[in-house]
Amino acid sequence: MGSDLKYEVAQNAYIKLILHSLKHPTSAVNAILIGRVSSSNDVVEITDSVPLFHSHIGLLPQLEISLILIEEYFSAKGLNIVGYFHANERSDEYELGGVVKNIGDHICRYFPQAPILLLDNKKLEALKTSKDSGAIVQLYVRDAYKNWKLVQSDGSSRFSLKEPSANLVLLDYISSEKWNDIVDFDDHLDDISKDWLNPSLFN
Amino acid sequence: MVTKTEETQLNNLENQVDNGGGGAWEYLSLIRKLNLRRSDKVLNHGLSILNNPKFRSTLGPDEWTLYEQVAVAAMDCQCLDVAKDCIKVLRKRFPESKRVGRLEAMLLEAKGSWELAEKAYTSLLEDSPLDQTIHKRRVAMAKAQGNISGAIEWLNKYLEIFMADHDAWRELAEIYVSLQMYKQAAFCYEELILSQPTVPLYHLAYADVLYTLGGLENLQTAKKYYASTIDLTGGKNTRALFGVCLCTSAIVQLVKGKNKEDKEGSQVQSLAAKVLEKEYKQKAPDKLPQLTTALKSLTLSS
Repeated sequence: MGSDLKYEVAQNAYIKLILHSLKHPTSAVNAILIGRVSSSNDVVEITDSVPLFHSHIGLLPQLEISLILIEEYFSAKGLNIVGYFHANERSDEYELGGVVKNIGDHICRYFPQAPILLLDNKKLEALKTSKDSGAIVQLYVRDAYKNWKLVQSDGSSRFSLKEPSANLVLLDYISSEKWNDIVDFDDHLDDISKDWLNPSLFN
Repeated sequence: MVTKTEETQLNNLENQVDNGGGGAWEYLSLIRKLNLRRSDKVLNHGLSILNNPKFRSTLGPDEWTLYEQVAVAAMDCQCLDVAKDCIKVLRKRFPESKRVGRLEAMLLEAKGSWELAEKAYTSLLEDSPLDQTIHKRRVAMAKAQGNISGAIEWLNKYLEIFMADHDAWRELAEIYVSLQMYKQAAFCYEELILSQPTVPLYHLAYADVLYTLGGLENLQTAKKYYASTIDLTGGKNTRALFGVCLCTSAIVQLVKGKNKEDKEGSQVQSLAAKVLEKEYKQKAPDKLPQLTTALKSLTLSS
């Protein structure tokens, strides 16, 4: 299963994921990754993301509805659901829970190379001081036995940010408290006039 | 629970305070009244009041309440020095107080000194075995250490004494959901529905859990509870409207070929679908095409 496949995430998709996590610091949050496989067939390009929930992540109905609506919207643009993002409730927790793996497995049924990105809280905390330009998430992919395995970030990096400046832009957004404006699917289901595409976030 | 009016009032006040328009004390009082968690704001605005001796002296006995509020907020923001200072002031004023003792134990917790905190709570409980807050701190402490089974155990023990605590039942249900122990979560929501039969949120959550469990019987019950949620909310709950559509579709797939026509069921679904379309047309017209296709695919599969 394409062990050399690389993953590349676009700045706006990345920033949405992190801001969503920051908006709900006391709960677990998740999101869907949108994109396509590159024409050269060796890179999964994550071009966009949709923040999903900040409560009841383990319940099925809201997940099914959101996946149907998201899929419907992006397939018209030639894009697919290509992965899953999760941030754990506790900042010192670095494991994929049962729910997370199940959702990842579900997405893999339709897009076998789908990764799970897990928020790296240590790097998030260090972001202000470290000047690190690497992504503050961990990459998990399924091995040949369909078990989720952490891909170590050292050596040949399989996961990268498309724009090297992404963390600087992110810091800018954080300092202006942009996370307040993030709308996720939970918000949309509570008030459907709230747009889960977050169209005005980057204006 | 916070009502819409209270929320607007709070947000207006917050805006005013953030922009230097005054009203910090009213804002902090409202946060206390509504029991909200806005620790960064409380810390910021609370400290500016505490650092202003003139204003502080106008508060009278409320001054001490503010010290307590800021101390807790500071711990939540990991500003442990501020918390320590506040607690010190309180201890000086109330040398024998159990309430200050609780804050001191929480400070130990915030530092990660779990064993010392546990000891402090145990001795506080010996003096006042029915202190709900301290019992809850124990649950929170187990959770913070990643000891989820411990948290469940403490919560169950707590609920044996304080059976009427709705928030605790909800917390237990949410922990069970996060561990995918859906049957246990369903039991918690049953308790909540029994004690407060007119709260739509519990009907909805119960239906969600049953749908997640799956199986014909659960799906049929889930559908009924989505319907009662719609009933209790006057058709305003989007999640319940979607829920009815999901259930109908899933049920039809399960009984397919068994020739068990469920006429009434599909009627409820088409009604729910109609309301959804009307709502989207009004409030989110650009999302209408996806909705229409989604609803169609749910009926087609049924």
